[in-house]
Amino acid sequence: MVNSFGKSDLGIVNTVLGPVSVAELGVVLVHEVLVSKIPGAEFAPEMDMDESKQFNTLKQSLKEYRRLGGGTIVDRSGMFRGRNVKLYRALSKETEVHIVASTGLGPASMVGSYFTTQQTEPPGPMPLDRLSEMFANEISQGTVIPRRERTGPAGLIATEANKKGITRFEEHLFRGSALAAQQTGATITFQYGREPEHELDILEKEGADISRIIVGGLDRLESDARGDTFKLARRGVMVALDHAGWTPHEGYVSDDRRVELILELFAEGLGNRVLISTNSVGYAIGHDTAHQGFDYLLSIFVPKLKKAGVTDEQVRQLLEVNPQRILSLEGDKGVYKPQVEGADITWVK
Amino acid sequence: MGKVNTILGPIAAEQLGITAMHEHIGFGLPGCDLDTKWWEARPKMLEVTIDKLKHFRELGGQTIVDCTGIGTGRDISYWQVVSRVTGVNIVACTGFVSGDTVLPYFRDKSIEYLADLFYHEITVGIEGTNVKAGAIKCGVSRGGLNELDEKVYRAAARAAVATGVPILTHLSINADRQMDLFEMEGLSLDRVVIGHSDGKEGLDPARDFRIAERGAYVGYDTIGFDTEKGTPEVPAPFWARPRAERLDQVMDLFKAGYENRAIISCDANCFALGWASTEHSVAELLEVFVPELQERGVSDETVELLLVDTPAKLLTMRDPQPNLIKAAKEAVEA
Repeated sequence: MVNSFGKSDLGIVNTVLGPVSVAELGVVLVHEVLVSKIPGAEFAPEMDMDESKQFNTLKQSLKEYRRLGGGTIVDRSGMFRGRNVKLYRALSKETEVHIVASTGLGPASMVGSYFTTQQTEPPGPMPLDRLSEMFANEISQGTVIPRRERTGPAGLIATEANKKGITRFEEHLFRGSALAAQQTGATITFQYGREPEHELDILEKEGADISRIIVGGLDRLESDARGDTFKLARRGVMVALDHAGWTPHEGYVSDDRRVELILELFAEGLGNRVLISTNSVGYAIGHDTAHQGFDYLLSIFVPKLKKAGVTDEQVRQLLEVNPQRILSLEGDKGVYKPQVEGADITWVK
Repeated sequence: MGKVNTILGPIAAEQLGITAMHEHIGFGLPGCDLDTKWWEARPKMLEVTIDKLKHFRELGGQTIVDCTGIGTGRDISYWQVVSRVTGVNIVACTGFVSGDTVLPYFRDKSIEYLADLFYHEITVGIEGTNVKAGAIKCGVSRGGLNELDEKVYRAAARAAVATGVPILTHLSINADRQMDLFEMEGLSLDRVVIGHSDGKEGLDPARDFRIAERGAYVGYDTIGFDTEKGTPEVPAPFWARPRAERLDQVMDLFKAGYENRAIISCDANCFALGWASTEHSVAELLEVFVPELQERGVSDETVELLLVDTPAKLLTMRDPQPNLIKAAKEAVEA
């Protein structure tokens, strides 16, 4: 795959194979997970860690997505939950689907103690400047393959808050993410915990550009009841109704309601702030998932949208224009110059 | 005398020789591998590690127990290279250094699950290999023994009873509760080392006597983490002690006749992962600490006891009672 630096005003996006022009992305699924592993599962004797199985399963899902018209998929799980950029690079080459990996950590329950409880007296989290440096370097120099090398770069910063309410450590992660975003021009995406507006405040207070933030999980039942999506879209963030196919039984609005919300957002003139995705897991290790594969949005949900009167142009806005704008490094501000240009590996020492 | 699992296969307890009971090839908190600050080329890590263990060997050392446990840098194939090159026997631990180091996948698991996991690593193999653990590690989290720590302690005790291997703990904080937990699970305390009794963290010399009186072993096993070693670049860690003070503490227990209820070791990292250690090596045990003991009048017999006899006694696998885990499971199900 050739990296190209087109003359698009929208700039470039970091994929796992290196930076590409946003114009190449096509249709984008912004909130999905390729490999989702509960950290530590790799040490459990009952786990099957055969990467060829992961590859074959993901290849099939990505090829189906491509066949349906998909162009790009974003892995929104950060750096510690099973991300395997080496695998993603092979998959991207094989399927010709662009894959954007994320850096970042969270929720706290999915983080190793190196980040939360360092060997200091008293114990404390990894200092803020070190955290932001680590995230920023994954975007500008490449993602880490533990203790060996850097490979393809991360394209955005992902974090997540506890559903019972953001924890102190997660606030720390949010602040570190905000600093890294300012250093790199990358977007932050977070799955909100309990109070999306409060969690957004933390990022904003730390200096993050509000137009460069995606808030995910807004199709949860309680956020619909509160009208979060509209409040947040009016504040200028990208709102993600990113659980298409999930049901009230699982705590999310029905697809019918999801379609209604989208129509209402367009009616209010907020269509340029909306993203849709399915939060599917391509391959789960150590947990169950009801949502596998990446075909649902294009094969089932988009027809539902169209049937409800959403125009082709509006679908393009949701699946191409909005994601391309938010994924381009520095958005409308100019072209970001990463230090790596899709090199296969960058040895650290 | 019996069998001991090392990473190159089982050996006779008589083959252990001089043994350092609480050491690390390299320990780091889960996640440290992602922070490039600590990355070093493997060949250099290997060189440093081999140099330190070779020196230990030249001084007469023959065996180390690596107390790293699951998810904090335990790396069997790498250790096998180290063991083959240096000739030092390495006994690997199953278990977890402390609740803090338990990775998310294991945090919500039951005691039964964790006991099965440890049992598997002792009887079948570690991480898909046929290399079997020879001891179990568990420990106290920062801030004191918590619920997750206790779950690991109970699981460790069950696996120790079922397999006959000993337990070594991280920290002597809440020592009485630690020992209670082991006993509640049916483990005899003569199978247990309550570790880091000489560390500054939660220091309580009176506690050493309680450990000894109850029949467990006192772990004087942070030897060489001396406050004197701190530099502006690498300050001594918060658990470091002045050398003379540590020695006084050890001698007090020995003078009371409890030489047979203690082990001595360094907790040295051949190459620390994810934190900056002051200069340290397991070789200091033989090169520095033992001569200091002898200067204080400790006899050759006692040194032999501390370095050879007690470690062999601890590491020799007792008659396993593998049906206990099954019995416990059945009891829960019934």
